[in-house]
Amino acid sequence: MTTDQNILLSALVDGELQGEELDQVLQLLATSAQAKIQLERYQLSSDVLHGYGSGNQQQDLTTRLSAALADEVQYTKTLERKETSQLISFPQQFWKQTAGLAIAASVGALAVVGVMTQPQNQLVPMASIAAIDDSVETMMVAQASDRWTVDEQEVEERLNTYLLDHNEYTSASGVFSYARVVSYGSGQ
Amino acid sequence: MVRGNKLMRALFQIFLSLCLLLSSMHAYADEKAIKLLERTTAAAKQLNYDGVFGFQAGDKLQTVRIIHRADVQGEVERLISLNGIERELIRTNDMVTCIYPEGESVQADRRPLGRGFPGDLLSRLTAASAYYDLTLGKQSRVAGYQAQELVIKPIDNYRYGYRLWIAKESDLLLQSNLISDRGSVLEKFSFSSVKMGLDITEQSLTPQMKGNEMAWHRAKARMKSHREISAHAGTSIWKVVWLPEGFSLIKQQNRLKAKNGAPVEQRVYSDGLSSISVFIEKIRARHGHLHGGSTMGAVNVFGTIMDAHFVTVVGEVPARTVEKIGRSISHRDSE
Repeated sequence: MTTDQNILLSALVDGELQGEELDQVLQLLATSAQAKIQLERYQLSSDVLHGYGSGNQQQDLTTRLSAALADEVQYTKTLERKETSQLISFPQQFWKQTAGLAIAASVGALAVVGVMTQPQNQLVPMASIAAIDDSVETMMVAQASDRWTVDEQEVEERLNTYLLDHNEYTSASGVFSYARVVSYGSGQ
Repeated sequence: MVRGNKLMRALFQIFLSLCLLLSSMHAYADEKAIKLLERTTAAAKQLNYDGVFGFQAGDKLQTVRIIHRADVQGEVERLISLNGIERELIRTNDMVTCIYPEGESVQADRRPLGRGFPGDLLSRLTAASAYYDLTLGKQSRVAGYQAQELVIKPIDNYRYGYRLWIAKESDLLLQSNLISDRGSVLEKFSFSSVKMGLDITEQSLTPQMKGNEMAWHRAKARMKSHREISAHAGTSIWKVVWLPEGFSLIKQQNRLKAKNGAPVEQRVYSDGLSSISVFIEKIRARHGHLHGGSTMGAVNVFGTIMDAHFVTVVGEVPARTVEKIGRSISHRDSE
């Protein structure tokens, strides 16, 4: 992943892309698995840092992550290095650099969240994992529910069919009604 | 004695009416909030837009691109998952096509759609105000647009609440938080970027999902025409005895299940905002089915087997609601 691509992904999460840049980053996401992983991390980081989530448990996580990050010297150095290189490369787009820096600062948090949501992720620095105790991981996994909690595939397929048929009647969030279908089990 | 019974019945009816009146008075609906909700519902169907939104349930986050076009031909919508498993969904007026990878090929399933909410949805939304407190919240910024928050709190614990953020100029829904009875966010949809009022080309609504090793394979869908579907409506032998206050039948239809051809009856009940579907499917062979409840994000289901039928209740309502409805369903012949 290049610095340009990271900046584009961060700007996408911040809702700052339009026109060609939006097309460019969507093309990148369509062709690069790494870009998709990176985007997921940025989005998670953004939500955690903004305190979005499901109630107090999420806030506890934010507090724990902040405490863990305070001890992460390694990422402080990365932050300083990134600031210099980006200023030289993109002097006319300082607003994007700022977004990039905020994201770089949260890379540690992202890495930890990434471990909890995607255990198979090989890009996560192992040093960060030690900062979080086991109880946090257990709590987050218990919240995962992007697919039906059933044992048989046949039953799962039947429930999916029913969900599809039911979707036309979800009035309050009509714009997003099919998001569950298109997202079903994607995190698995 | 007969006279005494009549008196008791009359008193009971008055008591019921008073209960209904009191519960209606409990709900508070800001008229501006209702109007905003109505405009938002209409905007979702009438606007052209192209955006990227995040969908968060529990600790899972998915990013989805949505392209929506509305013109004299009706609505066309395309959703593309941007992370995790690659998926696309195309929805036209009466058909939904899900495209997803299977092995090294791409599978496309097509299903006929129901007709959505009936034409009187707006009046149903107004009626829903008896069961929710609707108030305008703060103004804030979502996806770069000024947005008005709309807070929707249910009067009981049989339905969820919502916090909606609606674009001030266009009335498009920009963010939706589904709130549990404990006040926590169960699901969140939020645009990170969206452009409105665009000319949406045919190409942008055409599925692009393909890969070097992937070959197109289109599943044969078994479908019924709307005439066939509606022919069975209104002849149900099933009865739903209990529903939360304010819920009523808004749709009933029969479809063929795509895989084994078993007839499936769908009955949709709604209070104007929340809705549940009851699916009743005749068992044709020895198949497994859900016994009890299951959850996916904020959607709960309850399943049981009754008189050689799979009975399943699905809805964006708490688990207690689908279970209570499911346990109240009975076969008219068994009475």
